[in-house]
Formats: sequence, structure tokens, C-alpha cells
Amino acid sequence: MQKPISLKDRLAAWLPQLVLTPSILAVFVGVYLFIAWTAVISFSSSKMLPRYDFVGLEQYIRLWSTPRWITAVENLFLFTVLFLAITIAVGLFMAILLDQKVRAEGVLRAVYLYPMALSFIVTGTAWKWILNPSLGIQKVVNDLGWHSFVFDWITRPEFAIYCVVIAAVWQSTGFAMAIFLAGLRGIDNSIIKAAQIEGASLTRIYLSIIVPMLRPAFLSVIVLLSYISIKSFDLVLALTNAGPGSATEMPSTFMFSATFRRNQMGVGAASAMMMLMTVAAIIIPYLYSELKEDRNGH
Amino acid sequence: MTHFTKLLLATALALPMTARAEGVVEGIHHWVSESEVGALKVLTDNLATKGFTWQDSAVGGLSGANATQALRTRLAAGNPPATMQFLGYEGVEWEKEGALRSLNDLYAKNGWEAAIAPAILPFVKADDTYFAVPINMHRQNWLWVNKGLFDKYGIAEPKSWDDLIAAGKKLKENGVTAFALSDESWQILEVFEAILTDQNGTDFYKKAVMDLDPAALSGPEMLKAFDTLREVRGLVDDGFTGRDWAVATGMVASGQAAMQIMGDWAKGEFLAKGLKPGVDFLCFPTPAAVPNFKFVIDTFGTFNIDDANITAGQDAWVETVMDPENQKNFNMIKGSIPARIDVPVDGFDDCAKRSFADRDAAVKAGTMVGGLTEGFAAQPQFAGVFFDVVGQFFVTDMSSQEAVDMLVSGIDNAR
Repeated sequence: MQKPISLKDRLAAWLPQLVLTPSILAVFVGVYLFIAWTAVISFSSSKMLPRYDFVGLEQYIRLWSTPRWITAVENLFLFTVLFLAITIAVGLFMAILLDQKVRAEGVLRAVYLYPMALSFIVTGTAWKWILNPSLGIQKVVNDLGWHSFVFDWITRPEFAIYCVVIAAVWQSTGFAMAIFLAGLRGIDNSIIKAAQIEGASLTRIYLSIIVPMLRPAFLSVIVLLSYISIKSFDLVLALTNAGPGSATEMPSTFMFSATFRRNQMGVGAASAMMMLMTVAAIIIPYLYSELKEDRNGH
Repeated sequence: MTHFTKLLLATALALPMTARAEGVVEGIHHWVSESEVGALKVLTDNLATKGFTWQDSAVGGLSGANATQALRTRLAAGNPPATMQFLGYEGVEWEKEGALRSLNDLYAKNGWEAAIAPAILPFVKADDTYFAVPINMHRQNWLWVNKGLFDKYGIAEPKSWDDLIAAGKKLKENGVTAFALSDESWQILEVFEAILTDQNGTDFYKKAVMDLDPAALSGPEMLKAFDTLREVRGLVDDGFTGRDWAVATGMVASGQAAMQIMGDWAKGEFLAKGLKPGVDFLCFPTPAAVPNFKFVIDTFGTFNIDDANITAGQDAWVETVMDPENQKNFNMIKGSIPARIDVPVDGFDDCAKRSFADRDAAVKAGTMVGGLTEGFAAQPQFAGVFFDVVGQFFVTDMSSQEAVDMLVSGIDNAR
């Protein structure tokens, strides 16, 4: 005969669902419902206010024939590639140096991590002044006596995007370093010892053993930094305000100005959908590979 | 009325009005600087004498874009404010949505139609319905001059853009920065639209900028205006990146630069430094063969709210805004001139007096037009194209023809 199920047991069985329901609902409404709403708007003729008609791909066609949007997409790719490559290279290098059991490591780590604690608005404003030729680096060097020194990238449309890269790298390198450092600390010393006994050089140990073992750290850094670069809105706004002459426009700044300042809600929604698809194109293969490995028992 | 607003209004009416106290008028605006707050106090103090309390909902930042966002949120939540400050086409859009009260009775009762310039009617009236009242009028096309520098190099008031460029070159030869300017596209557009209107007259401006006529947009007048803007570029210093307009005004005030083209909000910066118009600095209209007057106004609209207390408060507020004495006192502090054209000029400074006189002349000659940069000539999606093109033209070595082509295709794309 089956034992009657007590109330307590029943509650225990339902508890996970009860606890999770509010957050699932919140995510569903706050994220997925609004994604769906944005998709609807992107197919409508909405201008200042939402309008629920259907105009097909008109807003997407309009978007892709706007030169500013093309600039924004190019900038996003240029920025993401440079930002990721430089931040990872410098961050890894600093982590390896710090891993050599240096003195005052705690202090140094804090110093390198500190920029991460600043908001991008502060970073952007500070670098705006540092990079301004008549206030910052160029003026200091000129005043020191090197009069022909020129560093005016921020005033030149073709170089201004590199200024954004410089400021973003400055802000995020310490963060990448911290993750790599944690990864390095997790590597078993006996493996390195064994390699040394086999007569491998230090460079070889790093390139062939340690860096490949840092794969999880690399993945975390790449995902987190790509996400910073796609949402890089505040930094651009504070540093260059998308100028000079929309040379540092990013998809996020484009979306904001179209939707909220230029009464082009349809175009703004279309650009938001393009950003979503870009993120999805990066994240879905990553999630897929990670989940597959989980199933294989890693 | 669109589906969306019907929904908004339905929720607005369905919600209980418990939060609204009697005798309170709530207004959203974006006046947060010292002179703006002081000027607003003139109005709210007067409102208090009529037995109504002003509930201040100031939302500063982004030239009013933040306040607009706040308003949309409030309407979506079914809780519109009693009144809202509008810039440019904002009020017109809300009127189209049926969200605003008709002020026709008050206009008729007080004879306000005769008190305002016809050129601003599109921003307070749509299809025979008055939906807003104007409080002030800024003039956008001013040339601010450091008097000491002009005297030193013997430069008189420029009468044409050729004069102005020649004066700039003379200053540059003597090592003086002629123009204080920035790479911010709105500051460049202020200069460009002044050139365009001054060289070709307001009829051309109306055709090209307000009606977006393709032939006018791609014509030789446009090319020439870009050529002139290129000459201005040569008269600006190297450190112009990211320069705030007020910093640029400060350069003229301190003698680091000789001239700035900016609306008359710049006057407040000179006055705050203790400088006197006519003594330390000069204000000239931007040089045109036929003088024109580019206006920028702030208006207040009132929202449909089904509550007699609120409606009474809105009436009191609208009458406060349109009171000639209030308009005078408000604008003496704010630096603009009254939107009413029948307020006497006494007590205003020399620059404001010139504004009054030029406005009267412009109303008579029909050369009063809305400023493009501040949103009074073209809808934001078209103005945005002008911003992009002049901004890029100014910082690159794009040719005038390329700029015109970009402008034409950009406007077509935004239509």
C-alpha cells in the first residue's frame, strides 16, 4: 500500500518551482517580451511614438542605407578586435609577470585592478582631457621642449576610434589580468616541475603548457570583454560623443540617437535587432559548445 | 488618435486620482541652471498669488531629451503632469496624439493671437486648435564679439559673410583665434545655417530646410554655403575637440578668441563674468544683406486630465505664462526676450533691445524663421541629417560637392 503524501513533502516538491517562478516571470517580461516588442516595432513605421502597422523590411533597408550606421558597424568590429586582442595580450603578460612571486603583489594587483572600479563616464572624461592636444599629452611633451611632437588622434576622424580603444584597454586590462592570474594559480605546480625536469625552456613551458591550460580563463575573458564592447555606450559618449563628425559612432550610440533624439523609433528598433543578432551569432555557438561538453562529462 | 494614445488615455482616466492634491499644478521642464531656475520662480511666485502651488518636476540633461523621456513614461503610466515645457515639434506631436487640452477659449478671451508673431504659430496651433502658450523667445543667429580685440585691429561690424571672413583672416594673421568653435555638430550647424540664410535669404531657407525641396538642397547656394563653412574651419584653433559652447563663449569673454556664433543664451555667460554689453563685448546679428531673425521658443502645453481642480490650475498657469509683466520679468533673468510682441522694451539691455527691434522688422518683412539647430525648422529626423553632414564636413577634408550629395541622399533616406 502507498503511503499518503504529507503536506510537507508536497511543499518540498513544489518549493523549487515556487522560488523560481517570480524570477522566470521577471526575465520573461523584462527581457524576452521586450525583445519581441522591439522586433514588432522594427517592422512598423513608428516614429516618435510606437505605431502598430506592418511595413516589412523598410526600416532595415533605411538602416543599411544610412552611412552613419555603416560607420558604426565598422567601428564595432574594429573596436572589438583591437580591444580584445590588446586587453588579452597585455592582461596575460601582466598576470605572468605578477605570478613570478614578486614582492608587494597584493598592492600591485590592487593598482592594476583599480581602473575597473571607475565608471566608463569617468574614464572617458579623463581620457578626453589627456588626449586633447592643447590640454593633455601633446601639450606636456611640447612644454618639455619637444616642440614637433604631435599626438592629436582624438581630433582626427580616421584615428579617433583608436582613442576609444586606448581608454577601454586602460580600463579593462587589470580585470583580464586578475582572471588570468586566478587561472595561473590553479595550475598544478608539479606539471611545471615535470616539464622543467624534461628540460623545457620557460617560453616553451608557457606557450605549450600553461597558456593552453588557461582555456577556461580565456573563454571567460573573451565573453565578458565582447559584451563590454557591444554595450560600449557611456565610454564613447563621454570620450568623443561619437565625434568628430560621427567618426566614433557605435551601434549603441546610433540606436540611442535614432530612437530617443531623432524620432526614428522604427530605425532604432531595427538597429537594436541587428545588435541582438550579432550577439546571438557569438553567444549561441559558444553556449552550444559549452553545453555539449557538459553532456560529455567535462 | 492612435491605438497607443487611446490606451494611454484610457489608463489615465481609469486610475484613481488620489495622488493629486487640490490647488497644485505639476509641471515637467528641463530648466536647471541658475538663471533658468530664477526665471521660473517669477512665474511660480505669481501662480502662488492666484492660490495655486507649483509642484516642480525638473528633469535636466541632454538638451531636454531626458525630460521628454520622463513625460513618455508618465503618460504610459496614465499619470500625465498638468503642464509640460515643449521645445520644437514635441508639442505638435502630442497634439496630433490628442493628449493636449485645447486652449482656444483662453486665447479668444485674452486676445492672445494678436500678441504673438505669426511665424511661431505652427508651434502653438494645429488645425485651428491652440495647444500651447509661448513664454520666451531666444534669437539663435547672433555674433558675439570681444570688443577689445575688434577695436585693437580696427574691425567694424561685419555687413556680409565676406566681411566676416576677411576680418577673421586679419585676426588670424595677428595670431588671434578668430572663431571660438567646437567639433560638436550642433555648434557647427548654428554657423552653417547662419551662412545659408544670410547668403541666400529666408525664402531659400524655407525652401531648402523647411520644405526640403530637392532642387534647393542640391543647388549652387548649398555648395557656396559649404565653401564658406570651409573658410570658417581655417579660422578655428586646434584644440576645438569636445569643447562645450560655454567654454567657447568664455574664450571670447577672456580675449583668447575674437568671435562666436551662438544663440543669446551665450549672453548669460558674459554677464555672469561681470562684462557689459557695448563696453566689454558686442552682439551683432550674423551678417546678412536682408536681416533675418532665427527664433527659438519655449512653450507650455497642458494635458487632458479629467479633474476640475487640475483644469482650474492649468488655466491659472497658462494665464500666468502669458501675463505681459511676467513675460518681462522672466526674460530679464533668462536672457531671452518675451514671446509676446507687445511687451515694452524698457529695462532690457542693449543686446535685448536690438533683438526687439530686429524682431519687429523681421515680422514686418516676413524674414522671421525658426532655427534648424534648436529644432524649429525641420523634424528631428531631417535635422539629424544636417547635423551629421556639417559635423563630418567640418572635421574632414570632404569637398562641398560630396557634402551636398551626402545631404541629399541622407534627407531622401529619412523621408
